[in-house]
Amino acid sequence: MPRFHHTASAFAAVLLSACLVSAQDTSLHEYLIDSEPWKEVVAGYDFTDGLCVDAAGNLFFTDVKSGKGIYKLDAATGKVGLFLDHLPGISGLQIGPDGRFYACHNREQRVIAISMKGDVEVLLTGVKCNDLVVSQAGHLYFTETPTQRIHLITKDKKHLIADEGQVQKPNGITLSSDERTLVVSEHGGKHVWAWRIEVDGSLTAGAPYMTMWLPVGKTTAAGDGATTESKGRYFVTTELGIQVFDATGRLAGIIAKPVADGKVVSCEFAGKEHDILYVAAGDKIFGRKLKVSGYFR
Amino acid sequence: MHRRLFCAFSAFLTLVLPLSAAPQDDQYILGPDSQEQSGVPKGEVIQMPAWTDSKIYPGTTRDWWIYVPAQYQKGNPAAVMVFCDGAGFVKRDGQFRVPTVFDNLIAKGQMPVTIGIFIQPGMFPNQDPKAKARSNRSFEYDSLGDLHARFLLEEILPAVAKNYTLTTDPEQRAICGNSSGGICAFTVAWERPDAFRKVVSHIGSFTNIRGGYVYPALIRKTDKKPLRVFLQDGKNDLDNQFGNWPLANEDMAAALKFASYDYQFVMGEGTHNGKHGAALLPDTLRWLWRK
Repeated sequence: MPRFHHTASAFAAVLLSACLVSAQDTSLHEYLIDSEPWKEVVAGYDFTDGLCVDAAGNLFFTDVKSGKGIYKLDAATGKVGLFLDHLPGISGLQIGPDGRFYACHNREQRVIAISMKGDVEVLLTGVKCNDLVVSQAGHLYFTETPTQRIHLITKDKKHLIADEGQVQKPNGITLSSDERTLVVSEHGGKHVWAWRIEVDGSLTAGAPYMTMWLPVGKTTAAGDGATTESKGRYFVTTELGIQVFDATGRLAGIIAKPVADGKVVSCEFAGKEHDILYVAAGDKIFGRKLKVSGYFR
Repeated sequence: MHRRLFCAFSAFLTLVLPLSAAPQDDQYILGPDSQEQSGVPKGEVIQMPAWTDSKIYPGTTRDWWIYVPAQYQKGNPAAVMVFCDGAGFVKRDGQFRVPTVFDNLIAKGQMPVTIGIFIQPGMFPNQDPKAKARSNRSFEYDSLGDLHARFLLEEILPAVAKNYTLTTDPEQRAICGNSSGGICAFTVAWERPDAFRKVVSHIGSFTNIRGGYVYPALIRKTDKKPLRVFLQDGKNDLDNQFGNWPLANEDMAAALKFASYDYQFVMGEGTHNGKHGAALLPDTLRWLWRK
């Protein structure tokens, strides 16, 4: 392991951390807008999931249980429609650096890439992929909830098990805004884990870096889909709501669910300015405009 | 009596000193025990090789330093004082100037011959030199539990003890920190009173960053632990989503009083800044190390 000697930078870091206290500290009261509550934007589905976004701010989603494929909420027109047919049962979705969709095709127990025209490339089969994220470097990470595994498909399509057995029902997955850290929520525990992403894409130094707030009387937070805000905050859907952590792993606040007794399972920023937080909430998708915007675009 | 001493000291500063741009903090200035005095033997500050193979915090690296007093003699166990965020304490021209304060107080016999350990929180560096290291500070300092105590006891103290004779008497081991380092110092002693019994917290984050706001309740409902605790805060300290620092420190002090702890609490007028704690430090250390 390399040694790092940087006395001067250590002092600078102390000064910096003092300054950052206020920058990172911003509570959700400073980025929620009172006059912008949750608005229902999509309805009539069965179980929405797999929210992802493109550069124009269009939101893509699936209907895992009974949908036909990938649906699109158009950022410019607000219209909702089927974008790619014949792809039922996708639970996790993201657009990679090559402009293709990458998907956890949960029903087929496989991971696939899909061109915008619908051409499918099978990347891996025989896995119960739940949710995924693709880095700008081209590494794909996905959670396999029942086996407690985090998988990696490297940019040259090598498959590795990057972590196994320590994350309680790994579910939601996202990246830090510098893409040096991978973040995974526990559905069966109370932590959100973080790993260092090495240059070859492998994961090291995993630790339960963030602690989710638990519902009264429960021992699991039911962490689910996660995304990253442009300044590095993590947004994680949980039973209590969307829990927000700053880049140093401190819980900053919990955004209430659009339906108090409903579930939220996936979240993503989209819209023309990438400043609308969308959540998949059962048969509906809700959106809420915030003062902050998303990292993925 | 000691409380009165502190009050007098603060009142003196408030009345006599001119107020400048940041009056709440700038009224607190270092006294003579924080200045190098001629004729006082100077201890040595040694930068240690970065700590890169932690088992408790895998994958982290951190800078650290030790201070060895001129009066230290191999074979005679030295007292130990650990400083969280050590970089902010170790410089002789910095805010706290701990090596100079130690020089002066040890020479006067007002604290024992003490080896200072100044340690930074962990960072996760990346193989890519362009990547900014991720800080593990909040995880290490704000979390409750025995992890950081174990890090010090299983990793850092044995590393120092390879070359220096350190005490194993918990009464002779102290730990100090500011802000999250302050609650970390308390947590270390709270978890392992068999190992650390002296705590100094400046502007301590006894708020809900990672659950630390429970300490006042725990102190009230737990068997008294043999700790000596010094707390400083300022009435203009932080009030944010994690909590209200002055109220949290008041609550800590009230709980320590309720449970009959040997504690001292100084509430000044400062913000989330180390100046007041630094100005008090010589008095704090005299109180902490008194027999």
